[in-house]
Amino acid sequence: MKPAPFEYHRPTSVSEVASLLTEHHDAELMAGNQSLGIVMANRLATPDHIIDLNRVEDLDYVNVGEDEIEIGAMTTHRTLERSAELAERVRMLPEAAEQIAGPSVRNRGTLGGSIGEADPAGNYPAALLALDATLTLRSADDSRTVPVDDYFIAYMFTDLREDEIIESAAIPTEPFPPERTGMAFLELKPAAQTWPTVSAGTAVRVDDPDADDPVIEEARVALANAADVPLRVPDAEEALEGEPLTEETLDAAAAAATEAADPEAEMHADEEFKVEVAGEYAKRSLETSYRRATDT
Amino acid sequence: MLEFEGDFESDLPRDELWKYFTDPDVLAECAPGCDTIKMQSPHELTATIAVGVGSVKPTFDVDAVVTAADEPELLEMQADGNASRNAFDLVAEMALVELDAGGTRVDWAARAEVSGMIASLGQRALGSVSNKLVTDFFEDLEEKAREGEPAESKLEAAPQAEASLE
Repeated sequence: MKPAPFEYHRPTSVSEVASLLTEHHDAELMAGNQSLGIVMANRLATPDHIIDLNRVEDLDYVNVGEDEIEIGAMTTHRTLERSAELAERVRMLPEAAEQIAGPSVRNRGTLGGSIGEADPAGNYPAALLALDATLTLRSADDSRTVPVDDYFIAYMFTDLREDEIIESAAIPTEPFPPERTGMAFLELKPAAQTWPTVSAGTAVRVDDPDADDPVIEEARVALANAADVPLRVPDAEEALEGEPLTEETLDAAAAAATEAADPEAEMHADEEFKVEVAGEYAKRSLETSYRRATDT
Repeated sequence: MLEFEGDFESDLPRDELWKYFTDPDVLAECAPGCDTIKMQSPHELTATIAVGVGSVKPTFDVDAVVTAADEPELLEMQADGNASRNAFDLVAEMALVELDAGGTRVDWAARAEVSGMIASLGQRALGSVSNKLVTDFFEDLEEKAREGEPAESKLEAAPQAEASLE
C-alpha cells in the first residue's frame, strides 16, 4: 500500500522543528525512516504532517566529555557502531548499534528514532537504561531532561509530549572507568535482519582487574523485549555487587532476570521461552562483561 | 472484549472529587488526547479525542452517555468512538470509596470492544497504555481539585439508562 497523503516539511534546525511542532500538533517526526514509513505505508498511521529531521545537522554528533558522553538524536546506528571512542568508554552502546538489522538500516536509522519509537525490543532503550542515561527533550519554549527510567512508560508509549523533539542522550561516564569496566550487549534473534526475541545489556565494574577474584563494585543489568518497556533488573545487580563473579552469584542474577521478565508471547517465541532466554542472556552477557572488565 | 481495571488513591474527600469528575470542562482539560468536549445535555457528551499507541494515533469522534451518577459514589458511562479505520465501544465505571483515613479510593473498571488498527496492536499494549492514560487523567484531575480550581457537577444519569456492555 501507499501512505495516505501528507504534507512534508524539511527543516534544517532544531528551533525550526520545534516551531513546526507547535504549529502542527498532529505531526509525526521522521528520523531515519526505518519504521515510520512502513507503518504509514500500511496506513497504521496517517499523520497529516511529516517533519523530516534528516537535514537537521546539529542533531548529529557524539561528544565524549570528561564526565559524560552526549549523543545527538540524529546520530545513525552506523556512526555509533564505528565510534572507537564509544567502544572504549561505553562498549555496550556500539555493540547494541552493530546488531541492529542490516547495514542499509544502520546507515539510515538513528538513536533518536529508536528512542522515539520506543519499541520494547529496541536495543538503545535497554542499553541507555543500563547506562543510566538522561534524555534532553525540547519544545519551542522549553527544554527538559528526563532520566531514561522515567521516559519509557508503556508499550511504544513515552513521556515525550506532542510538541517535543528528542534532542540528545547523555550517558554519565564516572561509574565506568575503562580500565576496570566491562560491558556487553547480547541479543537473540531468529534471523540477522529481524527484531530480537530478547536482549540483555550489562555492565560490570570491578575493584581490581589484576586480583585473583576481582570483586564487582557495580553491576548494571537491563533487558529488552522482556516486558512492555525496557526492563532494568536491580535484583540481579544486587546479587552481584560486592562479590566476585561466581557460579552462585551468576545464577542468582539470572534467577532475578527470570523473575523480573514479564514478556508478551510473539510468533516465534512463547512467554515461557522468552522468560528463559531473559535469564540465560543476562547470564551470558554478564560473563562477557566480567571477562572484559578483568582482561585489561 | 478487553477489560481494564485499576484504582487510584487520593487524600481528598470524595464529595470534593465528585464535582471534578462530573464537570465536563474539567474532563476536557484532563482527559488524555482530548481536543473538545461538548455537553449536549446533562447526560450526553460529545468529544474528539486523539489516542493511540506510538504513531498509531487516530482521532475519535466520541459520543458518551452517563448511565449512572449516584453522587458521590458511582459514576458510569457508556461511550462509542469512531475514527478512520478504528472504532471502540466502551463502558467505564468508577466507584468512589471513602477511606478510613479520610481520603478516597477510586476503583475503576472498563470493558471495551475495539476494532481496527488499534485493536491489531494487541491487548497487552493497550492494557499498559490504558493504565497509564487513566492514571494521568486521575492525577491531573486531582491536581485541579487540590489547587482549588472551581468545578461544578453538571452531569446526571440518563433516564432509564443501561450500560450496553454489562
